[in-house]
Amino acid sequence: MKKIAFYGKGGIGKSTTQQNTAAAMAHFHGQQVFIHGCDPKADSTRMILGGMNQKTIMDTLRDEGAEMVTADKVISKGFGNIRCCESGGPEPGVGCAGRGVITAIDLMETHGAYTEDLNYVFYDVLGDVVCGGFAMPIRDGKAQEVYIICSGEMMAVYAANNICKGLVKYARQSGVRLGGLVCNSRKVDKEWEFIEEFAAAIGTQMIHFVPRDNIVQKAEFNKKTVIEYDAESNQAKEYSELARKIIENQMFVIPQPLSMDQLEAMVVKYGIAD
Amino acid sequence: MTAFLQERKNQILTKGKDSFELEGGKPSIAGSVSQRACVFCGSRVVLYPIADALHLVHGPIGCAAYTWDIRGAMSSGPELHRSSFSTDLREKHVIFGGEKQLYRALHELTDKYRPEAAFVYSTCIVGVIGDDVRSVCKRVAAEKNIPVIPVMAEGFQGTKKDGYKIACDAMASLIGTDDSKEVSPQSINILGDFNLAGELWILAGYYKRIGVQILASITGDGRVKDVRNAHRASLNVVQCSGSMIHLAKTMKEKYGIPFIKVSYFGIEDMSDALYEVAKFFGDETMMNKTREVVKDELSRLLPALEPYKKALQGKIAAIYVGGAFKAISLVKALRLIGIKTMIAGTQTGNTEDYKLLKTICDDGCILVDDSNPIELSEFVKQTGANLFIGGVKERPIAYKLGIGFCDHNHERKLALAGYEGMLNFAREVYETVTSPVWKLKTTHSHLLATHVNSALR
Repeated sequence: MKKIAFYGKGGIGKSTTQQNTAAAMAHFHGQQVFIHGCDPKADSTRMILGGMNQKTIMDTLRDEGAEMVTADKVISKGFGNIRCCESGGPEPGVGCAGRGVITAIDLMETHGAYTEDLNYVFYDVLGDVVCGGFAMPIRDGKAQEVYIICSGEMMAVYAANNICKGLVKYARQSGVRLGGLVCNSRKVDKEWEFIEEFAAAIGTQMIHFVPRDNIVQKAEFNKKTVIEYDAESNQAKEYSELARKIIENQMFVIPQPLSMDQLEAMVVKYGIAD
Repeated sequence: MTAFLQERKNQILTKGKDSFELEGGKPSIAGSVSQRACVFCGSRVVLYPIADALHLVHGPIGCAAYTWDIRGAMSSGPELHRSSFSTDLREKHVIFGGEKQLYRALHELTDKYRPEAAFVYSTCIVGVIGDDVRSVCKRVAAEKNIPVIPVMAEGFQGTKKDGYKIACDAMASLIGTDDSKEVSPQSINILGDFNLAGELWILAGYYKRIGVQILASITGDGRVKDVRNAHRASLNVVQCSGSMIHLAKTMKEKYGIPFIKVSYFGIEDMSDALYEVAKFFGDETMMNKTREVVKDELSRLLPALEPYKKALQGKIAAIYVGGAFKAISLVKALRLIGIKTMIAGTQTGNTEDYKLLKTICDDGCILVDDSNPIELSEFVKQTGANLFIGGVKERPIAYKLGIGFCDHNHERKLALAGYEGMLNFAREVYETVTSPVWKLKTTHSHLLATHVNSALR
């Protein structure tokens, strides 16, 4: 079983890419996948499950107590036999969502939710590594591989660089490694080149360039992944490619995040800081 | 000497040997296992004796348990202060926030106990998860029509002393909110006596005899109404300056009330305190009454002290207490009964305090700021002290070393203030220092040595 964590700037299409990749892994490559959503918004499994109707781990904890949080109760099966659970969290502005992530992962491990028959466990993590709680998936050998979703937009690259800083912190003790950057295209100029250069600069690879295609949004409106919506489409093939590359990936590194000056220089070079 | 950390070298000196000034008021060094308590604890010990207020600790149960009935602060009436109420935060509350729990707890407790005011203590975890304690307090204050005062004393903010300041600010928000008490022109507030073992009542007796009204006692045997009226007193008399000087200064600034610093421990300081107050009011009758009180008390006390003085002559004491003013009083009080102080240290003294302490101590006395068990044990061995005066955390150090111990901290069960207190103090010191139990210590190690020797042979 391999455990993978997906990070990336908020709004970059992280959950969309993650779910489409999971669906492609299951549909095209016959993998058994488990998605553990670590975003308090609980939207990491919506397209796999066809809606947001599952009860989150935190809901169950709050309403029924820790002892009632069993695997049966919080895990739902969706497209391609993908098993899904959502951590959930407090209402915005209250309490500690980071602690919620820690508690949710601990509870899932205690209840043996990640069973032996699985090929992949995906952790889909909110935005950035903002605190210890959101670093949980990369601590203590929970996830072994991290993929950062980004685009050619300046702020997405800043966030990716920042996430690498968090990764470096935990890489030595937990063995977690960066598997690569996934460029989820926003169709900005010289996007491919920019991300390739940035990836090389921090010592990793751009594992795949996912082109922009409206079918993704269309499928999303239908609460479906592209794979379920139209498995024959070009975009479905792109996700299949990404899934294959992740399965076959051999390049795992401790990244070397750039200094602010280096990063600014690169941004200027690609002329996106207008 | 190897017993102390290099970083602490300016916080330890021997009088007559070292020429630098002892540095106080520094944060504790990580790893030194300081004898100090946390910010929250500091705020708690100051406000705790307000007996008709509700004291609610918003945090995990351990914070409340640690400060439950933390002082022997006696009350002549209500005893609501002795319950350490807690919101009992668990993991669930940390994740989802503890505000609702706090709101419910405040409602339930105010309905049940009808307190005059409520103090809500914020703890570390509450500060980390960012509960909006202030707004909950504001809301409940409006709904229940009583002052609900947030005490934002998260432990990680600093030292115990920061907690004192936070407590003073909490009290300052209460002062000046009522004018209904009758006030005599010769009225004082007592700041920094906590009525441990009824000490305030002893002092109140003396003040009554010289004709001074105590408007508010902050906070020993304290009442919310008294505190709310405290802005109308003519003078603030501050003991335990470490905890209360901030409030005294605030009140001087805001209400123009002057303050004097006193101590009620030992004959000299107790008498000085009464004389200072009488001098302030510039009333000849009051001064005469004060002279009478002092004369009367001393004529009874001095002969009674004689036998103790004889028995204790030449003994050596170690002092490690909270504030410097108490340490100074203790050095003087011990001298009166023939005991020489060779170690004098405090948790919260500042550089100025230590200058004064140094002038009072004998040559060879070790002065120490923010000490720890290893240092204190080492100093006791070096100086051959027969007696340790401290608090709950120093007791085991003394007993492990096999010397007498006198509790002069907030847990004490014996009144040690005033003239009566001086006699109690002498008796307590005498009993512990001359206890036959300490003879067993040497016999025991001697026996052990004999056994070891014969075994080796």
